[in-house]
Amino acid sequence: MNELARVDSEQHGSLCLVRVSGEIDMSNDREILTAIEMAVARETDRLVVDLTHTTYLDSAGLALLLRLAERMQARQQMLSVVVPVDSRVRRAFELTGLLSVIDVVSRSEDALGEIRPGSSNDHA
Amino acid sequence: MTLRDGALLKALRTHPKHVDGSAIFRYTSKLVLVGGAYYVAAILGLRLALIEKNVTPLWPPTGIAVVAFLIFGWRVWPGIALAALAVNLPISTNGLAAAATATGNTVAPLLAAILLVRVGFRREIDRLQDALAIVFLAALLSTLISASVGAGTLVLSGAIPAGRFPAAWAVWWTGDAMGVLVVAPFLLVLLQRPWSGSLRERIEIAALLLLVADVSVLVMNTDLRLMFLVIPFLGWTAWRFQQRGAAPAALLAAGIASWAAAHGLGPFQQGTLFEKMISLQAFNATVAFSSLFFAALVTERTRAREALERSAAELEDRVARRTAELSAANERLNREIAERHDTDRKLRQREGQLAEVQQQAQVGNWEWLIPEDRVSWSDEMYRIHGYLPKAFPITFEKAVELVEEEDATRIRANLKAALARGRDHDLPPSEYRIVRADGAERVLLGKARLSVGSDGRPLRMVGTVQDITEGKQAEREHRIAETLQRSLLPDRLPEIPGVLLAARYLPATSDLEVGGDWYDVVQLPNGSLALAIGDVAGHGLRAASTMGQLRMALRAYALEEGSPSQVVGRVRRLVRVLVPDIVTLIYLVFDPESGTLRFANAGHPPPLLVDGDGQTSYLEGGLGPPLGAIAHPGQDIDAATHLDAGSTLLLFTDGLVERRGASILDGLTRLKTLAADPGEDLEALCDQLLSAMVTDEVSDDIALLALRQVPFAAEPLFLRLPAEPHVLAPLRQTIRRWLRELDADPGIVDDVLVACGEASANAIQHAYGAKDGLFEVSLVLSDGAVEITIRDLGSWRPSSGSGRAARRGGLGQRLMRSLMDSVDVNSGPEGTVVRMRRSLQLKADRERTRAR
Repeated sequence: MNELARVDSEQHGSLCLVRVSGEIDMSNDREILTAIEMAVARETDRLVVDLTHTTYLDSAGLALLLRLAERMQARQQMLSVVVPVDSRVRRAFELTGLLSVIDVVSRSEDALGEIRPGSSNDHA
Repeated sequence: MTLRDGALLKALRTHPKHVDGSAIFRYTSKLVLVGGAYYVAAILGLRLALIEKNVTPLWPPTGIAVVAFLIFGWRVWPGIALAALAVNLPISTNGLAAAATATGNTVAPLLAAILLVRVGFRREIDRLQDALAIVFLAALLSTLISASVGAGTLVLSGAIPAGRFPAAWAVWWTGDAMGVLVVAPFLLVLLQRPWSGSLRERIEIAALLLLVADVSVLVMNTDLRLMFLVIPFLGWTAWRFQQRGAAPAALLAAGIASWAAAHGLGPFQQGTLFEKMISLQAFNATVAFSSLFFAALVTERTRAREALERSAAELEDRVARRTAELSAANERLNREIAERHDTDRKLRQREGQLAEVQQQAQVGNWEWLIPEDRVSWSDEMYRIHGYLPKAFPITFEKAVELVEEEDATRIRANLKAALARGRDHDLPPSEYRIVRADGAERVLLGKARLSVGSDGRPLRMVGTVQDITEGKQAEREHRIAETLQRSLLPDRLPEIPGVLLAARYLPATSDLEVGGDWYDVVQLPNGSLALAIGDVAGHGLRAASTMGQLRMALRAYALEEGSPSQVVGRVRRLVRVLVPDIVTLIYLVFDPESGTLRFANAGHPPPLLVDGDGQTSYLEGGLGPPLGAIAHPGQDIDAATHLDAGSTLLLFTDGLVERRGASILDGLTRLKTLAADPGEDLEALCDQLLSAMVTDEVSDDIALLALRQVPFAAEPLFLRLPAEPHVLAPLRQTIRRWLRELDADPGIVDDVLVACGEASANAIQHAYGAKDGLFEVSLVLSDGAVEITIRDLGSWRPSSGSGRAARRGGLGQRLMRSLMDSVDVNSGPEGTVVRMRRSLQLKADRERTRAR
């Protein structure tokens, strides 16, 4: 794929799952933020941003997530970020202390645990 | 033969300067040969003796002696003298008489040879003068000596009474003369170079000689006096074979006659000795003279004819050669004229308006006397307007009438304004259109100057007018072509460390014909390289503009679409809707990090891949039909291959491999052979391929694009980049490749990438608004650690407030300091320098650590 990053989203009832694959830096952070916010529907209670397939993330990506978290909080929506333990971007979260600011889980199943089979409402 | 005569003369005159054994042997052999021949001939000759024993009517030895002197020179005289002495001793009264006779017999032929050489005698006897020389000088003159000495000796020695001296002298003289006349030509003919006659000629000559002999024998054995019957046969022989036939025939006839006379046969049965003598000598003389002269004459005639023919042929040849030279010169001249014409044409086209105007330099001038309202035109003014000079009386109104309406209004307004200014001044130059007498529209450039009187009243206006139509047109076409060309090809190729790129564009030889070939290289957001090369069918502005549109569209699709086949598919749809042309195109995406090359091909000649070992292969996969060729093409497909380090990829348009009179397959094979040794220098490779593949005029445009991936981690990495966010991803990719080539640990590679990314992001942010807009990144390997320097040229502007940038900046600082072993930031008015260091734990170091 030629784009630096790619954003895919699924809506499962009140839960919105957004997968970001590729690299995030200051050249595409605004686009990605916009794409994620566009994916979040009005009825969404909870947003899960899955960074399992994100291969690069620096302060621009971290700032993006902080900003997203603030906006979600303002709208009283919950945000979880999936960063596997072996992810190449995990160190950035650890070193900047974001693990304590944002809800970071290491497995997408943990974040998606509340989705019951059959209630899937896929808007992808 | 002159040369041989010259050599002979020399031999006659000079003594040998140096005598060695073999020369003495040769000389002795010659003496023996000559003496032997002389002696044998003398014995035979004596058989024919008429007076005593030593006066014969035919004395062959004299002929032999003459020939011997002619051939071997005067130095063989002892051979002759000794043989003559040997012959005369037994038949003379005493030794003294024999010696005297022998001396006469030696001196006579020697004198004959000397005289012959003097007059330039040719041994072939093929000229009348040779025949004359041998008859008069050799046969008749020189033999006076031998006859006088011989006959005198006979009388003095008492062999004959004095009263018989005249008869003896006459017989002696004629005998010697006949010996020379009959024998010398025969021997000279024998000693010539071997005859190259055909078998038929050989048979003919033998038959003729046999005939002469038969007839001679016949007439000598009949009592009837029919000796003249021999003459026609001699003539025939001489006519057919010249001296070669005449000499032996004469010898035969004379020999037989002499023999008959000696034996008193046939015509020689009756009469006194004197009568017999007269009759025989008359016959022999007739035979010798007629055969000699006739043969010489025929030869001379033949030679003259041949010479004439030869010179005619030579002349013809010379005329033909000269004609050819002239026509070649003429052709050269024509070519030169054509070339000069061509060059002139190109020059005119290129030099645009200025040269055009200068060359034509048709400037007309006019004058307007304002108070009298009188206008005058120069002759050139009329010509510029398409009329004969002074074709009509010109007035102000008439002049303005000739100008196109729109421009006429403007001119009137300008003039009115100029007249109103009330002072001398130049009017601004003005371009305007006229319609010429023949209906052609022309563009003129007018300049004018106004003079006013002391009261400011306009008095006089003068001006020049120039036809600049061609100049305007050439200028316009040139500008269009240039603009197009510039828009069609990339100004420069992306600079990517470890990836060499070279490109060539060779326009068709014709200047204004812009072709439909193009190539393009862009770096995609993810750091991959997109390469395209294509060809719009046809030439000229339309093909060029199509190419321009497609190039832009392709760039747009390349940024948007994922795979080459998708990009090609979209261009295909665009061509179907927008462009009436047929287009071939190959589009490739090369990922320098993995070496993967993916491509899709729309009917374009396949790229050539040359690996590091010189193995060549055409990438024939991913092929679909040309764009615009068929209404409902199937889905475009992708093909992929891997480009190892050191491999070279060659993309080209068909102009490179197509040549008049050869199939494109030949061209592809040729290219494959030439590219098998690609060398180190990619630019040189391109030049080499072009010069080897393109020999004659470039009839079609040629685009050539070469790409090679090379190792680059052996050198420090240094990059100067525009301070724009989109450079970050390609920068990371380059650093990643550089570190991987060093075999650095993947985790550490990620750390370095983030740290570099942060420092670069800062540089980009700080450099925003600064003049230069560039920043520099360098990575140097030192002691198992990488030293990173990132320098921007912008002035430091502290992050404002708590915005997005400030937050990012803060996080960035933290990341850099945590990921690197050391970070040093130095800001000043010249810009900011960030120096970082990180141990790489290279594989070699890691192994060393483990070993401990």
